[in-house]
Amino acid sequence: MISRWQRWLFLAPFFLIVVPFMIWPALFGLFASFTNYVPFQKISLHYIGFTNYARILSQPEFQKAIINVIVFTIFTVTIELLLGILIAYRLRKAFPGRKLIRFVLLIPWLISPVANGVMWRFLLQANAGLPNYWSELLRMPAMPSLLGQGLALPTIIGVDIWRKAPLVMFLTLPGLEFISSAYWDLAELEGMSLYVRLRHIVFPHLRLLILTVALLLISDALATSESILILTGGGPASETITPGLFSYNQAVNVFDWVGGATSAWLIAAAVLLVGMVYLILIRHEAA
Amino acid sequence: MKKLLPRVSWDNLFLILLLLFCVVPLVWTALASFGISPNNNVLPPTWTLTPTLDNYVEVGVSDPSFLPSVLSSLAISTCATLLTVVVSFLAVYALTHSRFRGHNLLVQSFLILASLPVISYVIPLQNTLRIIHFYDTFMGLVLSETALFAPLAAYVLYGYLSQLSADIEDAARLDGAGIFQTLRWIILPIAAPGVAATAIIIFVLGWNQLLLPLILTGRVKTIPTHMIDYFVFERELTWPVAAAALIVSLLPIGVIVALAHQLLEQFHLTVLHQSD
Repeated sequence: MISRWQRWLFLAPFFLIVVPFMIWPALFGLFASFTNYVPFQKISLHYIGFTNYARILSQPEFQKAIINVIVFTIFTVTIELLLGILIAYRLRKAFPGRKLIRFVLLIPWLISPVANGVMWRFLLQANAGLPNYWSELLRMPAMPSLLGQGLALPTIIGVDIWRKAPLVMFLTLPGLEFISSAYWDLAELEGMSLYVRLRHIVFPHLRLLILTVALLLISDALATSESILILTGGGPASETITPGLFSYNQAVNVFDWVGGATSAWLIAAAVLLVGMVYLILIRHEAA
Repeated sequence: MKKLLPRVSWDNLFLILLLLFCVVPLVWTALASFGISPNNNVLPPTWTLTPTLDNYVEVGVSDPSFLPSVLSSLAISTCATLLTVVVSFLAVYALTHSRFRGHNLLVQSFLILASLPVISYVIPLQNTLRIIHFYDTFMGLVLSETALFAPLAAYVLYGYLSQLSADIEDAARLDGAGIFQTLRWIILPIAAPGVAATAIIIFVLGWNQLLLPLILTGRVKTIPTHMIDYFVFERELTWPVAAAALIVSLLPIGVIVALAHQLLEQFHLTVLHQSD
């Protein structure tokens, strides 16, 4: 045990950085979203209730953004979790080359979201891109543009899965390695199918870890904007706009500061809500 | 035995498809950066097969601002990582050595803070930095990145430190070691692998962070903001040059992760679930 003043001394640097550079701006954004605040202008500041929220939520583009991000989150998080855990399951036992495979599979996550956007934008173009090359080589009919109408959102979901499914493997593999080999012996002995093994061995053991990874994935998905900014810029029309991108556009391109902060707070509220659910769930699990 | 064979091959087929899924786009990009790319306009597609370093020259030499961006990315990520690890290590040490009301809730709130997306507070953060004259400064960006990553680092480090046995420390204490000596000579060496793994993850996150430098700086450029400039404002960006820039930006973290892979295999997201 350490003394009281030592405890505060050790905790102080952490809070002296996190409070002014994260918590305070977040709260300031929340306060400002209920006012007519305009940065760096002398105006009489007053409380205007939910006016900003009503204004943002009534915009068709933002409504589209909400639907898009819900679709995006459901598909990416589910597939990334399942695929990632499946990969981790495949890699749970040592075999020659496993270390190399583990490293290679992590590379997509090492590419930044921006670079990932740049990369896929070019890979998906007609001239020197990937899908067109193979379709022409195999003499198939010409591919429609995967970033065009109707296909842009599924493509963006696919690109996100490419980058993050291996990350789920990286985060869940240590947990899988921790499962006693007696379970695998039993599974072998009883001839359990893959489904049964996942359902009755992997998921029960990794429940809490999966919940935690899901929290990180969901909050990341709800705020997604960086790859999309490059890949489609939210288009075609508003097919791939997200609240994150909307907020960024409001603040940076439309110069509607308070509109940007308000839509940003809607994202924060969604993430905090998910966080609350997470806290309740893990308490439930522990009990 | 016969019954086992098909399952084994399915297993391996999955692995092979997975590796192709992961590697083909990367190889396509790497080849393009050396000027090797297909021409899909003719049937069947033909390949340009003469490797060239022109695209790297274009990135590194013809664009005089790219190298400074790489260097400032390196400096910012390094400083932010060190600061993050130091402040979260100290905070976590204090937390693992004291019990108080709301203790576990505080640790769990680190995870909630870690999941708070940058976009949800970066717009007001820009104002904050302008007011304290930290806007568009190295210092402002480093502190903002530290604030972003410290909660995650603290959550992960808590997992490592809370598992250490108290006995060794008590022994050191009995031998007359002060708290800082204990920290430096007992705790740090034992926790080193976990701390290093956390530092590497934070470094990668910092290296790839876009929104903080994009919104909080103008002149101070990092690689991701540089790429946005390429893309949004500047001259027509050709695919091979972008590919070269991408490979250059991937190289430093690729090398670090490759070298430290053994360490990273121990990276745990330990889950704290007790209530108070």
